[in-house]
Amino acid sequence: MTDTRSLPPQPVPDPDTAPFWQATGAGRLALCRCQSCRVWLHPPLERCRVCAGSTAFEEVAGTGVLYSFIVQHRPTVPGYLENTPYVVGLVELDEQPGLRLPARIVGVDPADVACGMAVRAELVALPGGDFTVPVFRPLSGS
Amino acid sequence: MSRSLRGAAVVGIGRTPYVRKSGRSTLAMAAEAARNALADCGLTPADVDGFTCYGTADSARPSQVAHAIGVDDLGWALSILGGGNIVTTTVSGAATAVLSGQADVVVVYRVLGSDTRYGQALGAVEVAGESQFAGPQGYLVPPQWFAMFCRRHQYEYGSTSEDLGAIAVQQRAHASNNPHAVGRTPITIDEYLASRWISEPFRLYDCTYEVDGAVAIVVTSAERAADLPHKPVHLLGAADSNRFGGSVDQWDDLTCMYSRDTAPRLWSRTGLRPDDIDVACMYDCFTFTVMATFEDFGFCKKGEVGDFFREGRATYGGDVVVNPHGGLLSEGYIHGLNHHYEAVLQLRDEAGDRQVAGAETALVTSGAGPYGGALVYGTEAL
Repeated sequence: MTDTRSLPPQPVPDPDTAPFWQATGAGRLALCRCQSCRVWLHPPLERCRVCAGSTAFEEVAGTGVLYSFIVQHRPTVPGYLENTPYVVGLVELDEQPGLRLPARIVGVDPADVACGMAVRAELVALPGGDFTVPVFRPLSGS
Repeated sequence: MSRSLRGAAVVGIGRTPYVRKSGRSTLAMAAEAARNALADCGLTPADVDGFTCYGTADSARPSQVAHAIGVDDLGWALSILGGGNIVTTTVSGAATAVLSGQADVVVVYRVLGSDTRYGQALGAVEVAGESQFAGPQGYLVPPQWFAMFCRRHQYEYGSTSEDLGAIAVQQRAHASNNPHAVGRTPITIDEYLASRWISEPFRLYDCTYEVDGAVAIVVTSAERAADLPHKPVHLLGAADSNRFGGSVDQWDDLTCMYSRDTAPRLWSRTGLRPDDIDVACMYDCFTFTVMATFEDFGFCKKGEVGDFFREGRATYGGDVVVNPHGGLLSEGYIHGLNHHYEAVLQLRDEAGDRQVAGAETALVTSGAGPYGGALVYGTEAL
């Protein structure tokens, strides 16, 4: 029997969010976007909150800037109890001011992480086998 | 249309002991706090026709608690889904029920028990809604969210660990005069800085002291209050604000909180200013919550909170006494309703060794991040 504490929290997709997970599973990072006024919407919505237009998922470049971050030291979240310390950031994507994704920041010593860093997404398998999630790595030379 | 709460008052307060593990049900603790609050104001369960609480599916319901203390016919029962951000709404909602005639006497309570506590993630976890994006990243619980806010504030305004520590040290010093507080042993700034990281930039002493316990307050009309034993504590006004659907990740400016929008609304509704406030019971799920909301309410400018506390301006003899009970950080985490208890105690001049001399007004804030509220109590109606 699998030790449930060894698995990270598993997403429960709903009709609005399912396309996000379908896209990451197919190797693409895609977010919800209004097809009328073109605003990006995250978390996703069935209709645009600005103009009530219809929405669809469009691929994003996967580049952005680290808006803020934490270094998690205390073992707290299942699946990460043996992995502390680790870094979680809020990445502001280049597509739109304020469009942010929470994600682990990898490939960098926690002591070297700083707000304002340029980062790029990569997609990795979430332990549990059913989902693929974005993590971000600092762009070299940033 | 008036937006004041003129005519409503808190007439009774009650609570249980605060302990790490009570071994009691939330129903038992809520019933005890409610009975104590009614005894405090000389009323009986037969006088009560309204009950309300907030919670996250972790609490005995209003109808159950009312029944448990012997209320036979409850005319108004309202259970609100939410945490510290919803305290103001719950209390002002009770006042509104009284003012509109939906109820005459309302008990407002909050209870927390270790058997049902939110934030324990030890089993298999599935995350729906917005959490489905954050949870899988190991980003799931409040200390992480507000450490994220804090880091951005440090980046933009240069606030420091020492500034957070000044808040923790001050509140613990206040709690040392509070026999009901769980954390009464004073700490120094060096002890703060030596405490272990939780979610960096938060250390152990940036986080609240989780306890089991309950608080209840009794709200009725000022007219009815005139016949009761204590000098009534009047509600002078309240305000809430809620943006971004409560999303901590999408909130536009992590260096401030809901209070950016609530504060001007509250000051406008009451005609008061920060200078008018004697006691500030600032919601303090974390030290940084005090920092951000204190700035937003206009007690000082951005980045000045550390100096404000170090210079003694947030304690007795200063500009305003912040959390004389020690707050959630040191008295215990009763989700902010213990701040209301303290405000009433101070305005009744019954706070003993920690009494703020001549206190006439108290600001009580609730919440953190994009969603919260605040209200002002006074010894005299506006």
